[in-house]
Amino acid sequence: MTVSPILELRGVSKSFAATAALRDMSLSVLPGEVHAIVGENGAGKSTLIKIMTGVYQPDAGEVVVEGRPVVLRSTQEAQGAGIAAIYQEPMVFPDLDVAENIFISNRAKGAVMHWGALYREAEAIVAQLGVALDVRRAASGLTLAEQQTVEIARALSLQVKVLIMDEPTASLSAHEVARLMTIARALKAQGVAVIYISHRLDEIFRIADRVTVIRDGQHISTRPIAEVTEDGMVAEMVGRALESFAMKTAANPHGEVLLSVQGLGRAGVFHGVSFDLARGEVLCLAGLVGARRTDVALALFGIAPATEGRVVLDGREVALTTPRAAMDHGIAYVSEDRRKLGLAMTLPILANVSLASLRKLLGAFGLIDRKAERAMAEGYRRQLAIRAPDVGTEVSKLSGGNQQKVMLAKWLETKPRVLIFDEPTRGIDVGAKAEVHNIIRHLAAEGVAVLVISSDLPEVLALADRVLVMREGRQAGILLIEQASQERVIGLATGQGERTAA
Amino acid sequence: MSGLLTRISPQTLRLVALALALLATILFFSTQIDGYLSARMFNRISTSAAVVLPVAVGQAIVIMTRNIDLSIGSTVGVVAYLTGGFLGSHPELHPALALAFAMGVGGLAGAINGVLVAWGRVPSIIVTLGTLALFRTFLVEVSDARTITTASLPQWLVDLPQATVLSVGGLDVRVTVVMAVVACAVMGLALGRLRAARKFYAVGSNPDAAVMAGINAKRVVFVAFMLSGALAGLSGFIFLAKFGNITVVAGMGMELKSVAAVVVGGVSILGGSGTMLGVLIGTVLVDTIDNSLTRWALVSEFWRDALLGMLIMAAVTVDTFASRSLGRLKAGSGGAG
Repeated sequence: MTVSPILELRGVSKSFAATAALRDMSLSVLPGEVHAIVGENGAGKSTLIKIMTGVYQPDAGEVVVEGRPVVLRSTQEAQGAGIAAIYQEPMVFPDLDVAENIFISNRAKGAVMHWGALYREAEAIVAQLGVALDVRRAASGLTLAEQQTVEIARALSLQVKVLIMDEPTASLSAHEVARLMTIARALKAQGVAVIYISHRLDEIFRIADRVTVIRDGQHISTRPIAEVTEDGMVAEMVGRALESFAMKTAANPHGEVLLSVQGLGRAGVFHGVSFDLARGEVLCLAGLVGARRTDVALALFGIAPATEGRVVLDGREVALTTPRAAMDHGIAYVSEDRRKLGLAMTLPILANVSLASLRKLLGAFGLIDRKAERAMAEGYRRQLAIRAPDVGTEVSKLSGGNQQKVMLAKWLETKPRVLIFDEPTRGIDVGAKAEVHNIIRHLAAEGVAVLVISSDLPEVLALADRVLVMREGRQAGILLIEQASQERVIGLATGQGERTAA
Repeated sequence: MSGLLTRISPQTLRLVALALALLATILFFSTQIDGYLSARMFNRISTSAAVVLPVAVGQAIVIMTRNIDLSIGSTVGVVAYLTGGFLGSHPELHPALALAFAMGVGGLAGAINGVLVAWGRVPSIIVTLGTLALFRTFLVEVSDARTITTASLPQWLVDLPQATVLSVGGLDVRVTVVMAVVACAVMGLALGRLRAARKFYAVGSNPDAAVMAGINAKRVVFVAFMLSGALAGLSGFIFLAKFGNITVVAGMGMELKSVAAVVVGGVSILGGSGTMLGVLIGTVLVDTIDNSLTRWALVSEFWRDALLGMLIMAAVTVDTFASRSLGRLKAGSGGAG
């Protein structure tokens, strides 16, 4: 191999206060390769990305671009050196239109805005991605997948040499993932190095040329994909062997019907959703992003109430018009968007856990019993294995998986009868994912009726007793787990192979 | 109807509503006050709005970046006094240099705010509340309770408020009015067409994303405050020309007026959006109400500030409700996606 690396890290270390996030990390990335980096949350991937994009400066070691050591003091300088990143949480400007979002950091475009040319070029780039997106639309109304498309387009417009994709598929559905893979291959063919970070191991086998495993801030291995096995990679990531989650072949036994949804709909959003959910049953809502699955959850939780249909809970028809009403009926919703809808990021764990059940904690004079609050949070920290020094830790300082557990603790404390999970493992690592799956199974075994919205098909097939597939705001079919396979679910979700299901 | 509503951008809709509100206000007062629709009243309102407009333009830019500048009332006072004093001792100074002096002093005051907010990481409401008091105290100390009088000013400045650029149908458009409108138009053009100025929107719209996109958000915030100061300097200059006599209370209360004008003009208090045309109409509306109330027999003059406060709250409330129901309308007609 005579190809010289386009980007190298040599002996990079970085510490925050007493904790070492990266220790003597070395890595080299070749032009025209897809280089996957895997590791559990907290392994140091985020710090690594931030060093490569100039957000952080290493304490020791150096960053080398095309053979020359560089100091990247800002994202601007990193972009100048040809390194850009797209992130897990899409970074768009809601008040600006799509085209301006794409070219926002493109200084080559000159000092004066030529709107006509801007729109034309934006359309060309978006078309290159093979998506339909009105470039004159304000970004505020875009879905997560569309926002990400904007981010990828932004990176493309910068003609980068190294593109870092941090959990790019976390919010994408199967066919959008396939499109992203196509884009990544196209970039690779142009000689761009793609650094691909994902918790979805199947994607890594589909796209990566080489895989680097990191653990506890240290480099563990870098190997060509042909020499890597899934089990070996996972073992290296967690430092121990882990059983991969198997597909479920039969439904778990469950009780009588608790929640009966009949012809539920919301004008202009979704229509005709009907299903029964029994105590102890796990029903998964599958479908493409934009199939309006989350809207069904929002209707059931009273955030965006349904305008048609009936909801019968425990034999009585209920009106779910506010989250308060839904909570009073024992319905809880663990949101997909942790930052926006789920957690008070600047508050400590204990305040987040107690938030939905403060009434229980009222002591004398209607004041909050702080001791009981701490004890409650401490109980969940142990039960759910939330990795934090103590329950006074600010939630924003936790990894994604642990934030998810805090959010879950908040809703578990309300003792829900119906628990709705929206993308429960989006952007969290394999270890934490298995833990969350176990918690969900455990809850179902205790008799909670569980509704899981997931775009991760292996997850759906590992968790569900039944799978409800949605397509474009309508119910495309319900599959018993025995009948469900990746192919059948995708077929229903995309409308291909129109075979009606039970 | 709903089809039309969803096709027009919310921004345009807001401007139309604002223009209608201005029209309604003028019509209302014309039935209440004798000789309201006159050249004299036009003059009164336009020259009074000319003092506020530059400050409102600066305030709008600061608010766009998710900050606020409460110090500008004091900045206007300091600039008016120092410029008046400087012209008293250097009467031969060229008018353009005098204007540059005023805007320079204002820009310096703004730069102090900007450094503290952008790099000191102190919330702007605290910084500018502090400098509101500090600049005023500085003025009291420097002036030693002396007043700038018209007699000490060069003749060109004394004549400036009466200088007319053109007369249309008996309505005189004063030089000071043109100066303010030009400042507003230049800024409006920049915000629409200059890449550098678009960063004000970007930073206010999503500060984290701005940093990730390689925008130096701190510098953008600093520049916003400096511009706000420099534009307050322009206001101070027009203030000096208009009133001639400058005491230590000059410019007091202009922060409230500017925030009212900006918010009524449709600049989102949450940052990221707003237009200079909106600020212009908002300023004229606020000033029209302000000037008309003093002539309206039915309302005590002391109610003016209360009305201004109510106007701010009403504007934000209406805006919130309107955008919420508009969003619902759009979701309804959008269909599945």
